[in-house]
Amino acid sequence: MKNILKVLLVFLVVSSCEETIVIDSGQADPVVIVEGLITDQNEFHYVRVTRTVDFYDTVATEPITDALVFVQDSRSNFRGYSHNPSGSPDLNGYYISNEQFAGHVGVEYTVSVTVGDEVYTGKDLLNPVTAIDSLSVDIDEDEFEDPEDEGYFYEVLFYAKEPQDRKDFYLFKFYRNDSLLRDESTDIYFSDDDLLAEEINGVPTAGYYTIGDMAKVEMYSISRNGFLYYNDLTNLLLGDGGFFGSPPVNPRTNITNGGLGFFQTSSVVTDEILITGD
Amino acid sequence: MTTIKLVLIFSGLLFFLTSFAYSQMKHTINGYVRDAENGEELIGVTVYVNELKTGTASNVYGFYALNLAPGDYTLTYRSVGYLTVVKTITLDKDQEFNIELPIQITQMEEIIIKEEAIDANVTDIKMSRNEINVKQVKRLPALFGEPDIIKTIQMLPGVSSAGEGTSAFFVRGGSADQNLILIDEAPIYDPSHLFGLFSVFNADVIKETELYKGGIPARFGGRLSSILEVRTKDGNNKDREGGGGIGTLASRFTLQGPIRKDKSSFIVSGRRSYVDLFLKAAGEENTVYFYDVNAKVNWKHNNNNRFFAALYLGRDVFDFDNTFGFDWGNATATFRWNHLFNDRLFSNTSLIASNFDYKLELDDDTQGFKWASNIQQLTFKEDLNYFVSPTNEINFGYHLSYQNFSPGTIEPNSDKSLFTTVELQKEYALDHNIYVEHQRKLNNKLTVLYGARLSFFQSVGPAAVYLYEDVTDNINIERTDTLSFNRFEEVESYLNLEPRFSARYMLNPRSSLKLSFNRMVQNTHLISSGTVPIPFNTWAPSSLYLEPQIADQTAIGYFRNFDNNQYEFSMEAYYKDIDNVTDFADNAEIFFNEDLVTEYRQGDSWSYGLELMLQKNEGRFTGFTSYTWSKTERKIPEVNLGQPFLANYDRRHNFNIVATYELSDKWTLGGNFTYTTGRPITLPNGKYEFENYQVDFITERNGFKLPDYHRLDLSATLTPRKNEGRKWKSSWVFSIYNAYSRKNAFTIYTRTLENDEGVEDPNRKEARLIYLFPILPSVTYNIKF
Repeated sequence: MKNILKVLLVFLVVSSCEETIVIDSGQADPVVIVEGLITDQNEFHYVRVTRTVDFYDTVATEPITDALVFVQDSRSNFRGYSHNPSGSPDLNGYYISNEQFAGHVGVEYTVSVTVGDEVYTGKDLLNPVTAIDSLSVDIDEDEFEDPEDEGYFYEVLFYAKEPQDRKDFYLFKFYRNDSLLRDESTDIYFSDDDLLAEEINGVPTAGYYTIGDMAKVEMYSISRNGFLYYNDLTNLLLGDGGFFGSPPVNPRTNITNGGLGFFQTSSVVTDEILITGD
Repeated sequence: MTTIKLVLIFSGLLFFLTSFAYSQMKHTINGYVRDAENGEELIGVTVYVNELKTGTASNVYGFYALNLAPGDYTLTYRSVGYLTVVKTITLDKDQEFNIELPIQITQMEEIIIKEEAIDANVTDIKMSRNEINVKQVKRLPALFGEPDIIKTIQMLPGVSSAGEGTSAFFVRGGSADQNLILIDEAPIYDPSHLFGLFSVFNADVIKETELYKGGIPARFGGRLSSILEVRTKDGNNKDREGGGGIGTLASRFTLQGPIRKDKSSFIVSGRRSYVDLFLKAAGEENTVYFYDVNAKVNWKHNNNNRFFAALYLGRDVFDFDNTFGFDWGNATATFRWNHLFNDRLFSNTSLIASNFDYKLELDDDTQGFKWASNIQQLTFKEDLNYFVSPTNEINFGYHLSYQNFSPGTIEPNSDKSLFTTVELQKEYALDHNIYVEHQRKLNNKLTVLYGARLSFFQSVGPAAVYLYEDVTDNINIERTDTLSFNRFEEVESYLNLEPRFSARYMLNPRSSLKLSFNRMVQNTHLISSGTVPIPFNTWAPSSLYLEPQIADQTAIGYFRNFDNNQYEFSMEAYYKDIDNVTDFADNAEIFFNEDLVTEYRQGDSWSYGLELMLQKNEGRFTGFTSYTWSKTERKIPEVNLGQPFLANYDRRHNFNIVATYELSDKWTLGGNFTYTTGRPITLPNGKYEFENYQVDFITERNGFKLPDYHRLDLSATLTPRKNEGRKWKSSWVFSIYNAYSRKNAFTIYTRTLENDEGVEDPNRKEARLIYLFPILPSVTYNIKF
């Protein structure tokens, strides 16, 4: 239902002009950002630790490479993490679990990140996820008539049964031939189930495909905290500066001690479909 | 039962207040003041008794009454834009004396003021109040050539706007929802067309517009910061008359005339925008339009009984590709009965219905939904004016409203839709108000007006009210219990006494000091966390989790007239303090939230300012210039870490000029100029990356300021000389909006840095300034027959 603001923005853009302006953005004291994910898949998991930078900085963020990172769960398991074992400069600030493990539904995980004298923790409960019934491929007629990219007019439709007897929150990621696909770079695909009926019958996923593409859909369960985080993040990314919408504000996080970011635990289900054009 | 009791107590009080007035045998002269040309009742006409150096003014229904000792009197009737009429009467019995004022036609030569012009600015007790001259508004430059009173209101002292292209206005540090906007006494919940480019007020039907910013009379309540009272024309009761206008974006047509001459008349007016017709012609599938319909009939049974029925309907409709659409609109109906109980007791009884609703609809097999919401209000009002003597007047009354809030229903509009039907709980409220107000001229220098309004607000059932473990916890929402209430069972009630006081002290015949205090209570809360409300915001009544908002305002003013009352100057300072101002938690979900109460955060707001205004109402050159210095802050629990912050609409300096000049009897020139400090905005003080989103780092609410806003608009109105044989009159209004094409900031947002080809740099961000209108010329053709 954030569509309202999007529509308003569209309306504004139609009737308005815009230009780049330099704002007198000050130098705030940097804040630690923690980003982490544990899934129910048996794999190596990551925690990323960075710091905020100035608004006009030429880097996106500042990696912290000397933090102490570990995860504990409500079953008293301890998982150690090491900074960038591969040594790749792109992965500075990434801490990888020392061993592969799978998260479990119903277990609460707590990340602990120590930077200097400061300790930041984040807690999340791993929730179950609904199965994806199937995917199907269809021609999007508008896109077929006037494709933005030549040949890309197939859309992938999604089918599932939303359990009506429990509270669910979902996060989706879409891939075209293993590369992440979004309609806009600021798009986040997530939902609660407040307004959802049981039958999800062919809801279009992001982007368009061409013959020979492999489409992949990942569906993650998230906690209510995770839902609120992505909800707040969307508002911040798409905000209008507080004109019709609310003023920009940092998302509600599960990271303590003034840190930002989010530590997420999820069950994941995946489905794939090859675009054949049949 | 309670109501009856209150009325009884009230009547007793009134008797007490007025009993002293019967000490001497007196006679009453009363009647209506009308426009000689079309029979419209005139509001606020001063009726001056020369011999007694005192007088009264016609009330909002055009009625006046004077209670005087027997004798010969000279009465002077004066109103801006009309010739002054002087009548001598011999008062030896009660008399009805209706009067018609001829319109003043401005001559080529500057009018030579033979007698004193109106000095009401100085002598009247009212302060913090502005009338908007709609005739002038029509000759001022207008956006897309559509004259709009709200745009002129935004230039008054003590009033500011959030920028151009909006119909929201902010009065003395109050937010946009703190203005009670009335059309023929019916509340308008959203005054905007096209998200605020225009307001719902069609200038052709407006008779009188008044903005009350302070010293608010006791007959008004329900909003904290201002009352905007718009009264529409009753319809020409002498001759049939038609007129219309063709503008760049919209056209309008009005027809009015007598049904039975001098007995009853009607007016009906319509306005519709037609951008969509151009879009259609250009092969666009999108539809965008708005329309307004105003209709009114009135009939005079006799001088003691008059009836009015007025209707307003307005709607905005948007449709994109026949798949996604939304619309919103107000509908109001007013029925009024003016009755004279006796020659000095004037009564107005009103029945008012008001509805505001919006709907959004997505037509899609799998994601289709329909979302609808509305707010309805039914009001009964009994207002009485008792003209005890020219120095002594009492107003009192009783108002009862029933409100029905339907915050929203979402339902699927196809079998395959992924949506299920969800309806947010409706809320209901009863609002009782009684008031009394006594104006007393104590001596030639001092006049006082004191009174109070007692508001008793009940949130009533049917309702299921959730109890929460912690109602301010919007993260882990834990409902602990549900309380059920039957129809009209009280959920919560609030009793508030709202004292009102004004005083005027004449320093000398040309200048006065005025003082006012008013407490205002607002029980209807807008659910919006932005700066400017949008039609999709909903309203909620005071209830278990939402307390009444209360504002106390004190204002003092110095009023002085110059040059034989041609120039009116005023200087006012005010301080306003608001308790329980309704705001929302950071990151609040204000749309379609079943636990919306967990997002409420009521706090404090305070504002102070100094306002200067110089106004000239008569002559070839008319207009006003205003300067306001003000500061408004808020302190809301948990918001901005609990620290005070500048309100979204805070503007330190605000300077305006509005003027028209009659160059010749063919040409009139008009101009607006405005210069204001940029309003506060929240911008990032850093950034970071999360997954691969580039996220702003926010450290403070409203810590930045938009660039200063300034704009010049110009207009020229051409009224070709009337051909003798022709029955119709026409005029052309040429407007230039934003004459020097200033890029005024609407808002600023941030995004990932893009190069000229639109390719994003994943490591860098930029800020973008949105501005709406460069220089915009427009032409409007008006016709009258």
